[in-house]
Amino acid sequence: MKAAQLALSGVDKFYGPVDRGVHAVKSLTMQLGEGEIVALLGSSGCGKTSTLRMIAGFEAVSRGTISVAGKPVHDLPPVRRNVAMAFEGYSLYPPLTVRENIAFALKAAKLSQAAVDAKVNEIAKLLEIEDILQRYPSSISGGQQQRASLGRALVRSASLHLLDEPMGQLEPQLRAVLRGRIKHFIKERGLTAILVTHDQTEANALADRIAVMEGGVLQQFDTPTVIKEKPANLFTGTFVGEPPMNVFAADATLEGGRVRLDLPQGVSLTYPESEFAPQVRDQLRALRQVVIGVRPYAVRRTTDGVAASVATNQWLGDQTHIAADFAGGTIVLVEHDRARVGIGDTIGIGIEPRHLHIFDAATGEAVAHGMELA
Amino acid sequence: MATLELHNIVKRFKDNTVLDDVSLTVNDGEILVLFGPSGAGKTVLLRLIAGVLDADAGRIVIDGEDMTGVDAEFRGVGMAFQNFALFPHMDAFANIATPLEARKAPRDAVKAGVESVARLLKIDHVLTHRPRALSNGQKQRTALARALVGSPPVLLLDDPLRNVDAKLRFEMRLELPRLLADRGATVIYVTQDYKEAMALGDRIAVMGQAGIRQLGTPEEIYLQPAGLEIARLFGDPTINLLDVRPSRDGQGIHVALSGTRVELPAAMEPSVGRACVAGLRPETLRFVKAGTKGAVPVTIEAETPLNEKTVTLVRTRGGREILVSRPAGTPGPDHGEAFLDIDAGGVLMFDKASGERLAAGGPAAPRKRATA
Repeated sequence: MKAAQLALSGVDKFYGPVDRGVHAVKSLTMQLGEGEIVALLGSSGCGKTSTLRMIAGFEAVSRGTISVAGKPVHDLPPVRRNVAMAFEGYSLYPPLTVRENIAFALKAAKLSQAAVDAKVNEIAKLLEIEDILQRYPSSISGGQQQRASLGRALVRSASLHLLDEPMGQLEPQLRAVLRGRIKHFIKERGLTAILVTHDQTEANALADRIAVMEGGVLQQFDTPTVIKEKPANLFTGTFVGEPPMNVFAADATLEGGRVRLDLPQGVSLTYPESEFAPQVRDQLRALRQVVIGVRPYAVRRTTDGVAASVATNQWLGDQTHIAADFAGGTIVLVEHDRARVGIGDTIGIGIEPRHLHIFDAATGEAVAHGMELA
Repeated sequence: MATLELHNIVKRFKDNTVLDDVSLTVNDGEILVLFGPSGAGKTVLLRLIAGVLDADAGRIVIDGEDMTGVDAEFRGVGMAFQNFALFPHMDAFANIATPLEARKAPRDAVKAGVESVARLLKIDHVLTHRPRALSNGQKQRTALARALVGSPPVLLLDDPLRNVDAKLRFEMRLELPRLLADRGATVIYVTQDYKEAMALGDRIAVMGQAGIRQLGTPEEIYLQPAGLEIARLFGDPTINLLDVRPSRDGQGIHVALSGTRVELPAAMEPSVGRACVAGLRPETLRFVKAGTKGAVPVTIEAETPLNEKTVTLVRTRGGREILVSRPAGTPGPDHGEAFLDIDAGGVLMFDKASGERLAAGGPAAPRKRATA
């Protein structure tokens, strides 16, 4: 098998003395294949930025190794790692114009002037910064600086491209189309890229695989589809997904050929036992106390469902968000048409077993996901 | 409960006219959203209503009573701000109680009022905490509780969810309508987030240069925007805008896209022969099989899956980019070549020079999804 383009093995980061300081990244092991786009996703303080900075060489690793294209790099200075970066705070050179900034690394790579111009013009067109190429960084907006910095990183040929919150400051009207163009650009050239973001929309949109981090620990590293359909634990399940996954504590009982899930306030969901795989039934028997989750777009309105009173109906143009009082809390439904239900109306909530996620109430670890039941 | 009327409000800061002849009536119990980019005068308008700023001209009437020039504390107006503005030396209880204390309510009435609103906002367990011991979400709820506690007939909320994280913002967005309806307040709500505007507003006033550009229900604003700039502000992904010059022949009005004839409804008559911008909402476009009548051939550039939808960037033969969005989990096109069905009834047509929407038509209701 071909060597990974980037490999982290047992990487720890302590701020302060090793084993006693703040443990920001905990025993992180992950590999990226060549041409892969990976997003490090998490809230602030989860360790994603520390990880990126260690890969870039701005931070030393406390333990473990980092290899790029098969070669250990964790002892090398940033410039010798052959890594292109667009970082917040790794800013544009103020005395150079935007064009000169983007061209800088290309000139260092001894490309002809014509080749440099062609590359700069291409990326400037893609990022819609053609009209500011002659300007200096101090005279352009934050969003434009971000695009210029992104352009400077993307035009370089490097073993690895590191992008730190690459689109955080862009105006929303530009984001969707730029995401598409950037993904197309990276894929067409086969670049290997890591982006760090707290915005799951960006991670989902751009990445082949997402590394979800929390508390310095890698929670799950998989494709957006697997993370959505089979979250490894309650954290990932409720962190990734917008609107967030609905979760309820439940007591599981198996009797008379049926699986019964008792939720708060006397709400009971029952299913034929045959809908659950034997090993899942065994686990439910052993655990009893579980947390069940269901994604808002998987909740159905059915006449024979559990009665719930509508709290809000919010139409957002291309989808409707409905919230209803359910099991002592709120259940959220997403529908893709304009739903005509009013506040106070009673609707029937239907949750099919194939849309259920079941977590161990004590550990938060996933027990089963709908698609693997039965 | 109250009706709020603004008559011909003018506000200038030196040479800069921020509000120029703004008139608006907010109905009893209505939630009216002021929406627009920063600098559009939304906060200034709120401050004028609250009485912390004075207008250069115009009248403010609450429930038939002229409040122009009346001191802030006698207007019956409650306010919450995006930066929370809590008193750091007072605990959450004391912060929430300030409007009741100011009007010298008896002690047990203060206690009952604060506790009831705190329970509603789920902060009854942190009432003894000072602001620095509260999470951002709790601070925001405390500020909201303070605005609600005195049951003011008019409630002004200045982007109250701006500084809280996405998850909490979503949760509050769902909770707010019932909370506000329960208090019976007439609400003016300022936001820069179009989803919040559509979700919360009975009506939305879109603010532009020195005044209100469009006033309407979320449906009117989304489906029949007055101009191109308004259409761009609502929707995720943003509306596709394509330069076109519609023409008419024996078979009707049409434009060419990707070398294919796209028929337009007769209501598009005013656009014929004129330089226009056609607005296509990403969710009104559908991928269809090759050979479907009127289908526009495109190349797939990139698929960007989101959580409840998948957005595809495609390119026409003429090199134009179009975003197409579909519900998550529905089958998409294969890579390479694909074909798009354009819902002619959903096309918004704008005059290129003025940006104003041309045809009176436009969709009356969102296009129904083909059920899978």
